[in-house]
Amino acid sequence: MNEVIIEEAQEKEWEPKIIAFLCNWCSYAGADLAGVSRIQYPPNIRIVRVPCSGRLNPFFLIRSLVDGWDGVLVSGCHPGDCHYISGNLVARRRFAILNDLLEFFGIEPGRVNFMWASAAEGERFAVLVRKATAIVKKLGPNKKFKKEW
Amino acid sequence: MSKLNLDNQKIQEKMREVARNLLKEKKVDLIIGYSEGTVPLSSAPVFIRKEEEVDKLIWNNLCYVNLAKYLIPNIKENVDGKLVDLKVGIISKGCVARSIIHLMVEHQIKKENITIIGIKCNGIINRRKIEKEVGAEEIIETYLLDDNFIVKGKDFEKKFNYDEYMNELCKHCTIKSPPKSDSLKDIIVGESQESYSLEEKFEDVIEFEEKTPDERWNYMKELLQDCTRCYACREACPLCYCNLCFVDQNLPTWFGKTSEISDILIFHMVRALHLAGRCVECGACSSVCPMGIDLSIINRKINRIVKDRYDFTSGLSLEKLPPMMAFKMEDKQEFMLEED
Amino acid sequence: MIEKLVDKKDIPKLVKELTEKYNFYAPIKVNGNIEFKRVENVGDIELNFFNSKIPPKEILFPRMETLFTYNINGKNIEIKEPEKSEKKNIIFGIRPCDAHSFVLLENFFGFGEFKDKLFLNKRKNTILMGIGCNNPRNTCFCTSLEGHPFKKEDMDVFLVDLDDKYLITPITDIGKEIIDALSWLVDAKKPDLEKAMKLSEKAESLISTTLDIKDSYKILDSQFSNPIWKEISETCIGCGTCSFLCPTCTCFDVIDEEDKYNNKGRRIRIWDTCQSCLYSLHTSGHNPRNGGIERCRNRILHKFSYYPTNYGLIGCVGCGRCIQLCPVNNDLRAIIKKMNEINKKEEKSIIA
Repeated sequence: MNEVIIEEAQEKEWEPKIIAFLCNWCSYAGADLAGVSRIQYPPNIRIVRVPCSGRLNPFFLIRSLVDGWDGVLVSGCHPGDCHYISGNLVARRRFAILNDLLEFFGIEPGRVNFMWASAAEGERFAVLVRKATAIVKKLGPNKKFKKEW
Repeated sequence: MSKLNLDNQKIQEKMREVARNLLKEKKVDLIIGYSEGTVPLSSAPVFIRKEEEVDKLIWNNLCYVNLAKYLIPNIKENVDGKLVDLKVGIISKGCVARSIIHLMVEHQIKKENITIIGIKCNGIINRRKIEKEVGAEEIIETYLLDDNFIVKGKDFEKKFNYDEYMNELCKHCTIKSPPKSDSLKDIIVGESQESYSLEEKFEDVIEFEEKTPDERWNYMKELLQDCTRCYACREACPLCYCNLCFVDQNLPTWFGKTSEISDILIFHMVRALHLAGRCVECGACSSVCPMGIDLSIINRKINRIVKDRYDFTSGLSLEKLPPMMAFKMEDKQEFMLEED
Repeated sequence: MIEKLVDKKDIPKLVKELTEKYNFYAPIKVNGNIEFKRVENVGDIELNFFNSKIPPKEILFPRMETLFTYNINGKNIEIKEPEKSEKKNIIFGIRPCDAHSFVLLENFFGFGEFKDKLFLNKRKNTILMGIGCNNPRNTCFCTSLEGHPFKKEDMDVFLVDLDDKYLITPITDIGKEIIDALSWLVDAKKPDLEKAMKLSEKAESLISTTLDIKDSYKILDSQFSNPIWKEISETCIGCGTCSFLCPTCTCFDVIDEEDKYNNKGRRIRIWDTCQSCLYSLHTSGHNPRNGGIERCRNRILHKFSYYPTNYGLIGCVGCGRCIQLCPVNNDLRAIIKKMNEINKKEEKSIIA
């Protein structure tokens, strides 16, 4: 029985691995709500909880690409709703410049994604995760920054 | 003699006069400027403390170092057993003055200690491009003639059109002498620029962005593959003044220090990220690179980003906050997965 | 006679034969810069050059070298050392200054109890086929350091550019073996040797820089605390270009890199520079060389004072790369002259 399961798993097509940085007060709670409401969303994302999207050093996102993650997802509170008042506004500027620079250097648009999701938006969280996963799956495995040795 | 040559000579005379007076009247303790280089196509920064040495100062189209680099950390000297901040006069073309202004905005240097000796720069020659084209011939002499930069060796003489062989960033420059402003009128002596155009279309960046992601990736790989990680670009930049650069951090180690292409690309990309809204497009990073890598397309890109998104040009005002030190509710967020 | 000739148009044939049996490195133009690289296409070789920016030490002591890789399988750790090439290396077109630097590098990596096997094994399997400098640069000063633009003692085979052909002189036994294997080479004649002699004298006369180095280590030793070092290092920005492009600089850093997700890792060594602020940083936080003055002074003293004191050899070969490529034109020749002048002033005052 175990051999059958393992074989089946190995035959399946490639699934992207996406690391998701969710802010504790809004997005993580939103993801939790999606789970509690039994709303299905793709299991490709691995969630990392941070207190606020403003905590995110752009290095986290770049380092994820270097380590081999196929996609990165960042989610915070809606502008104006940040638990720490302006953390997400600070983060938005950082992400804008980082996103532009990554694309400029040739990282495919869609590998690194940003979104806002509040604690009450379980369904919206699931929809956007589905969208992000579909985009990354279409792009294929991340080969660019990954160091091969 | 060509107009460019005459301009340079006039600038040089005026600069020496101003420097001499400043030292004579003891308004400054130290003057930082450029002196004649000992190898062709180069110039050497020089620190002058006495009136007699003022004739070492020169001005020509090979003064590529951004002298604002030497203002951090604050130049101190031991006077009667105490460390005292020196008053410094610094020869500034437009970009150098802009970097000084930006350093003041970031509270790295004190306004009282600086005197900006303004001069009007007509563009710096792209020395690496010329070196590569001259190849394996020893250069003995260089000079300006009409609109050309002449390079002379033992058995050869080559002409380079000045406008074509300027640094890429100098080609787009509109702020050629220190920008005039009320808050800085006490510290600018010499030439300054009243008005300048900030209308910038960034056509070269737009053209580059038309390429596909893979084409851009390959272009960047080819551009940066020679990088030896010597960090001359980082050290020559006045705005790279961190005590511990991100590449040197090791608890945790963020990115590798090797010369593998992945590490090289990340170093330059993250350095550009840290310079967003701060780079003054002086071109020193490309001029000092020993391997002749031209980083101008990256610098132009980050300046395009902050101009388009936040309507900001660095180093022009002591009051306006740089974009990475501020935020607005109405910031553009078209890059989000779903705009709301 | 042991000297041979090869027409310049036959160089591709020579290279092709040698590439079959050896790893052949020669100067190649990449993005406008000359670099010593493994030759893939014979047409890539560029022999009309001064010298490469990155010295040929890179072939034996690369910028990044893997010491070993490891794989973790459950409780087993498998350690693998990098594969060694079976073929020997030939470095073609190396200049006499760089060839001499290999002597200094061997000295450093092989001195005392702990010998660097990585470098020494590669050096044992490397053959130097160098070319004399017909046109030394303004910044060359090998003659001040017991060198010469036509010095052939540090090489295995020495070539001289005689305009349309090369004069080939095998020096060591290995060199003789290689040249004998190229049986199609014609013998050189007396006029060729005379022409080479004339070129050698001309090259020596073209070296315009002379440095008075003979007492430098005594002077530098005694002037360690002289405040003139502040003046000398004022414009230095502390980048590291001089050490990376120096044929005799050997410092390196050892780094462990881990790929946690795939349970593997590697240990590598990369070039390091004494100009880096981290170079002499102790774990306690104390840094004996905390400023630009100390680091700039350290480099000069290392080459001209510590090296002679420890090994009896001067640690500089006079290639001039640091002078050509310093971003702020901090000229080594001016520094040495300044130090010599202090000494003369002091001597005068003592006599007076």
